[in-house]
Amino acid sequence: MDTLVNVAHGFGVALAPINLLYCFIGVFIGTLVGVLPGIGPISAMSLLLPVTLSGTPESGIIMMAGIYYGSMYGGSTTSILVNIPGEAASVVTCIDGHQMAKQGRAGPALGIAAFGSFIAGTFSLVALMLVAPKLASVAIVFGPAEYFSLMALGLVVLTFLTQGSMAKALLMACIGVVLGLIGLDSITAQPRLTFGRIELMDGIGLVPVVMGLFGVAEVLLNTEQAIKRDIINAKITRLLPNKEDWKASAGPVGRGTILGFFLGILPGGGAVVASFASYALEKRLSATPERFGHGAIEGVAGPEAANNAAAGGAFIPLMTLGIPPNVVMALLLGAFVVHGLQPGPLMITQNPGLFWGIVASMYIGNLMLLVLNLPMIGMWVQLLKLPYNILFPLIILFTIIGVYCSGNNVFDVYVMIAFGIIGYFMRKLGYEPAPLVLAFVLGPMLENNLRKSLILSQGDLGTFVTRPISAVCLALALVLLIGPLLPTLRRKRELVALDEGA
Amino acid sequence: MSGDSNVKVRLDNSELWSGLIGLGLGIFVIRSGLKLKLGTIHDPGPGFVLFYTGILICAFAATIMVAAITEGGPTFGSRWKDTRWAKPVIVIACLTGFAIALDPLGFLLAAIPLTLLLMRLIDPVRWSLAVPISILVPVGMWWLLKQALGIQLPSGMFGIG
Repeated sequence: MDTLVNVAHGFGVALAPINLLYCFIGVFIGTLVGVLPGIGPISAMSLLLPVTLSGTPESGIIMMAGIYYGSMYGGSTTSILVNIPGEAASVVTCIDGHQMAKQGRAGPALGIAAFGSFIAGTFSLVALMLVAPKLASVAIVFGPAEYFSLMALGLVVLTFLTQGSMAKALLMACIGVVLGLIGLDSITAQPRLTFGRIELMDGIGLVPVVMGLFGVAEVLLNTEQAIKRDIINAKITRLLPNKEDWKASAGPVGRGTILGFFLGILPGGGAVVASFASYALEKRLSATPERFGHGAIEGVAGPEAANNAAAGGAFIPLMTLGIPPNVVMALLLGAFVVHGLQPGPLMITQNPGLFWGIVASMYIGNLMLLVLNLPMIGMWVQLLKLPYNILFPLIILFTIIGVYCSGNNVFDVYVMIAFGIIGYFMRKLGYEPAPLVLAFVLGPMLENNLRKSLILSQGDLGTFVTRPISAVCLALALVLLIGPLLPTLRRKRELVALDEGA
Repeated sequence: MSGDSNVKVRLDNSELWSGLIGLGLGIFVIRSGLKLKLGTIHDPGPGFVLFYTGILICAFAATIMVAAITEGGPTFGSRWKDTRWAKPVIVIACLTGFAIALDPLGFLLAAIPLTLLLMRLIDPVRWSLAVPISILVPVGMWWLLKQALGIQLPSGMFGIG
């Protein structure tokens, strides 16, 4: 009953005209960046973070969340029609989605992607409403040791799932922690690694780091090769999947939704992992696995449902524990912080309007996305024809403006350009930026909780293993760290490891 | 990876160099942690986490270097093989020039040439399209930010913008 009252309250907030407008702007921009290759939700959210300052916290966060789940919808359009994933979670949709389009079935592929996403998005929101308050009530008893271990686990999971060498991913995470510690020490107020520069006293900003590593570096990588687009030019008709399509897709959508939701909750996991896991599951369960890769609708329905369910699930650790499970949620945490809010176990009780408003807005946003992605598909197809040589200078210009506006500071633009160049060389040398960014956000929290637990336990390191939740998290982290040394686990990791960055 | 692209103890092994950079960074972080004071385990100081993170950085960098020596790794040349490597260099040069010009010249006088150069130097956009876009987009953005959002972009020594 309480949940229903809260949901009603949430809809009251979400249906306020200004919040509806922000929600629409968010899902529209999300679809746009999902459709356009070379700019992902991370870049778009960093770009718009300063814009959220002009409105209420509800409006700003509703818009940022809309960009995230909107990009999950939009990404499938590019994957199906152009065979270029609009964002990382849609990589797997290219495999069968584009084949379907080549066979003249672009309509049903786009249709099932949109409906599957809608069903999964709806389920994950209902689950979010039910799970988040319960988890928040448990999280109240978490102490610094639990928080430290949970964050350490999140970082280890992300490094485990990152493509390439695990040593490189761990190195990136450590560098991220160091970068996060630049500025005044939170306990002694002593400047650390500031090199006497006043601009570094408050630390390096999240926006310039993210925009550099993801936005500018991505542009530099894209300019290296002439982007060829294999756009399906035939007119897209009959977007509604037929009875056979629905019959084939019902199971994959259901399984993808549940799998995606739980993978989204896990620290370090997220939409990308979920879509790959769902594709592998459907291929394994199929009676005709040889159809996969040649236009099997199950290969579109499952992953698309999974990545949208994961996008909803990922809100749970952020909203209930205040711990972002992936880079996108780290940016959302940034949006909360700029509004003076700290997500965590107390947020649902102290700020119910905000929490339930965001959840309700996500439901409304899902409905908006269905309208944006099906009847307006022609508009997105036209956008796909925008040449990259015109698009990329504009992306650079927008990132410069976005970074400058985040702090009204030219120094941030220098930081972004420097991180753009560093990010380009990192990617070329096989170092993924995602662990660095998550560690950059978690670093100060990780340090704070470590120091607090050591002070509270009077230097007893046993506090991390005698407290059950902390012990379980550290044990899991240890298994994942040792895992790649075992050949069977290493093969499994290589199978699921992926590029979170795009 | 095989043949020339996968070398062991050769100076152009990119893995070896990236590990070395990591090692250097780790040593720098350890030194910074020590300078800031480690404190004790009962009361960790501001350099405590930095110091131990520096040790971890050195350990992971050493692992990368050992793997580069024992298993080999791609050369710098092979990393950029079959790519238009000069294009990102041009973009980096343009961005560096923009960064230098931004403060003295202001946003508009720095952004218009930047956009034009990027449009003409990478995959050339025809002049009749590149010039209007390079002028209209920065001016439009500047106007929108100043008039609608009240955000003042740098105007430089000429006070333009």
